[in-house]
Amino acid sequence: MMLNPSVGLPDDRKSLYPQSQSSAYKCGDKTSPISVILVSSGSRGNKLLFRYPYQKVAECPSSLSAKQRNPYVLNTSGDELDDQDGDSREQSPLTDEQLVAGFSDIVLSTILATKSDMCGKKFELKIDNVRFVGHPTLLQHPPIIQVSKTDPSPKREMPTMILFNVVFALRANADPSVISCMHNLSRRIAIALQHEERRCQYLTREAKLMLAVQEEITTTETDGSPQSPFRQILPKCKLARDLKEAYDSLCTTGVVRLHINDWLEVSFCLPHKIHRIGDTYIPPEALERSLKAIRPYHALLLLENEKTLLSQLPLDCSPALIRLIKTCSAVKNLQQLAQDADLALLQIFQIAAHLVYWGKAIIIYPLCENNVYMLSPHANICLYSPLAEQFARQFPGHDLPSMLAKFSLPVSLAEFRNPLEAPTQEFAALLVNQAQLIQMVVWMLQRRLLIQLHTYVCLLVPPSEDEPGLRDEDPPLAARVGGRSLSTPSALSFGSPTSSDDMTLTSPSMENSSAELLTGGDSPLNKRMTETLLASLSEHERQFILNIPAAQNPEDLRMFARLLHYFRGHHHLEEIMYNENMRRSQLKTLFDKFRSVLVVTNHEDPIISIFQSPMD
Amino acid sequence: MSTLLEDLNATGACTLPIDESNTIHLKLIQLRKDPPIVQEYDVPVFTQCKDHFIKSQWDLTTQQILPYIDGFRHIQKISAEADVELNLVRIAVQNLLYYGVVTLVSIFQYSNVYCTTPKVQSLIDDKSIQEECLNYVTKQGQKRASLRDVFQLYCGLSPGTTVRDLCSRYSQQLQRVDERRLIQFGLMKCLIRRLQKYPVKVIRDERSRPPRLYTGCHSYDEICCKTGITYQELDERLENDPNIVVCWK
Repeated sequence: MMLNPSVGLPDDRKSLYPQSQSSAYKCGDKTSPISVILVSSGSRGNKLLFRYPYQKVAECPSSLSAKQRNPYVLNTSGDELDDQDGDSREQSPLTDEQLVAGFSDIVLSTILATKSDMCGKKFELKIDNVRFVGHPTLLQHPPIIQVSKTDPSPKREMPTMILFNVVFALRANADPSVISCMHNLSRRIAIALQHEERRCQYLTREAKLMLAVQEEITTTETDGSPQSPFRQILPKCKLARDLKEAYDSLCTTGVVRLHINDWLEVSFCLPHKIHRIGDTYIPPEALERSLKAIRPYHALLLLENEKTLLSQLPLDCSPALIRLIKTCSAVKNLQQLAQDADLALLQIFQIAAHLVYWGKAIIIYPLCENNVYMLSPHANICLYSPLAEQFARQFPGHDLPSMLAKFSLPVSLAEFRNPLEAPTQEFAALLVNQAQLIQMVVWMLQRRLLIQLHTYVCLLVPPSEDEPGLRDEDPPLAARVGGRSLSTPSALSFGSPTSSDDMTLTSPSMENSSAELLTGGDSPLNKRMTETLLASLSEHERQFILNIPAAQNPEDLRMFARLLHYFRGHHHLEEIMYNENMRRSQLKTLFDKFRSVLVVTNHEDPIISIFQSPMD
Repeated sequence: MSTLLEDLNATGACTLPIDESNTIHLKLIQLRKDPPIVQEYDVPVFTQCKDHFIKSQWDLTTQQILPYIDGFRHIQKISAEADVELNLVRIAVQNLLYYGVVTLVSIFQYSNVYCTTPKVQSLIDDKSIQEECLNYVTKQGQKRASLRDVFQLYCGLSPGTTVRDLCSRYSQQLQRVDERRLIQFGLMKCLIRRLQKYPVKVIRDERSRPPRLYTGCHSYDEICCKTGITYQELDERLENDPNIVVCWK
């Protein structure tokens, strides 16, 4: 583990490793493509139709000295920079341009225009530091050439294209999820192009234009001032401009919207660019896991205002989507939203997931008075941040840091309203009216400044004094308490009173002492309760619980037994309230009564906390 | 070729004699993530027992600072006591961080405030973390602490509660538990996180200079390290200043 000997005196350098943040866009941004390339294969052989960014050709190729690199030579300079030990280079890595510039047009067209049996499948090829990904597509051989009005020579036999491939070049160490996303985009563009080709030979026409310009440029090159033919293609070819736009969008916003031949729309988003918090992105798998776990009591919070969002939708979008956007609100949970928008809950889940995927919304717990919020650890609280400026403009008279300071300690919205209930003088001093407060909280949630804290409870019985060893061998409660599976959202089984135990609602209150419970009384209720306790707890635990003074009250004991499977630390108070149709005060009292066996803590909900802070 | 495949798959290293005088040695290098920058107020702590490593294999700087890495000294202190230049210590620790030998936690003080993360539940779910924790936090020479006591202690940490408050409130549970190691373990495994204070100067006159350190970007830890004043002094100064608000995160 020797320090790299070529470091030298580290007087100014605070770090041995390159800081990826500063060079994120220029080189090494693993989520952006390096280049987009269109190749075709046909009766005239393999052709490179278009590539972007086009390489910068040297000023005077005829006067190249031996030291100057010929841009058309395969890039081998990377090998010389390697350290003796094979350690990573100290010099800055090759820029993206240099990586792909080393491949000449002819080489690219040969390797990327595949044979027909590779069509219709994912194409992936890695050479050195570049990974090419595409979806080669076969074109049908049109039996009758449909003549378009602009075609000047309808009778001449046109060179036919057999297949084409839209390829994205990425850095070789790009994430597999990024690679499959790029492949997806390539496939979508290919489908659109294939369709347009069948309808009106769009692709053949564009290809002909591109090749004509390329030939023209090569013939005029003899005057000593070579220009890149692709630069000339851009103003003449719509398809070339579309591909350039796709590349530019992928590198910046991550949202691509193309109109192939001004007719077919191809839209695509790269989740890695959209779901970014600071420097890190939320991996799509984590996003998907989160989306699968949302429940009817969650709410959808739009990240842009309604009008802006509606204007971004295409004309032929689903009316259900429009209805949802119009009826959604930060205080309504998904189940209420389903009722208000008159849509099935399952459909609501799907549309919500779609909006979240596209970065237009996040999942929160619906806003209400009892919600407790705290500053997110990743919140930017700097005085000079752009957020502070925006806040001051939106809410004149208030500044963001002061507002954020109020959320330093977890505080519920109710505390803002009634200064008498406020824990400190500071709250009494500020009187923010309720409506504006809600707006501010929504604003802060949208910008990931706040997290919501929930109460979680866990059953832990104190170990017995005589047999300390036995306690440690018990498997954790989570493994023993089977309980009902609450992980899959189902429209029908939550929130309705019928889901809870029918017997407990209708049976008369029990006046019996705990002794009778132990011996197993005749009533079916007793039996069921005893069963529950027996099945999941050890003898020692059961004894301890039954000896608690509160357990002498059968109502309380019954409630405790019924909720036993929630006491694993994975279900928060609001979830128990929703599932069991209980009031907050009831639950809090119960927790208090059984506090000798329960441990209570507050933290954020791990399912939706992903939207406020990336995974570690 | 088959030797190449088998050896590399098995051990990640392989030696291929080509002819009488030439041999190729190959080794798979594990690619790791770039480590974060190490600040002067960070505290390095060994993730495994430090005796496992053969010290002579390390460079001189690392060897010199090794005895001072105890999970409680921060970088600035290590630099002062080991008599090694600050930036060298930072780089050496960053190197150790890259190889996963140490991890970083924050300075321990009894006035610190911590809160639980969702990962605290893993203490209940995961048996191996449980075992590791109970072995780590039990006071020397005492009977092993109970899971309930330790879990209660972690759950007792919340915004607004200092470690001192925790100690007075849960003195019974702390009979067999070393609170400093409790906090250390919790931070290493991300069961708890530290809430840092960030002062922000919100109101100022037109004539005064713009705030340099009180911008919300620098925590108390950082300010104290850079300016040399103690936590209490800084607290006193800022509490009495009506123009400054403090955010905890």
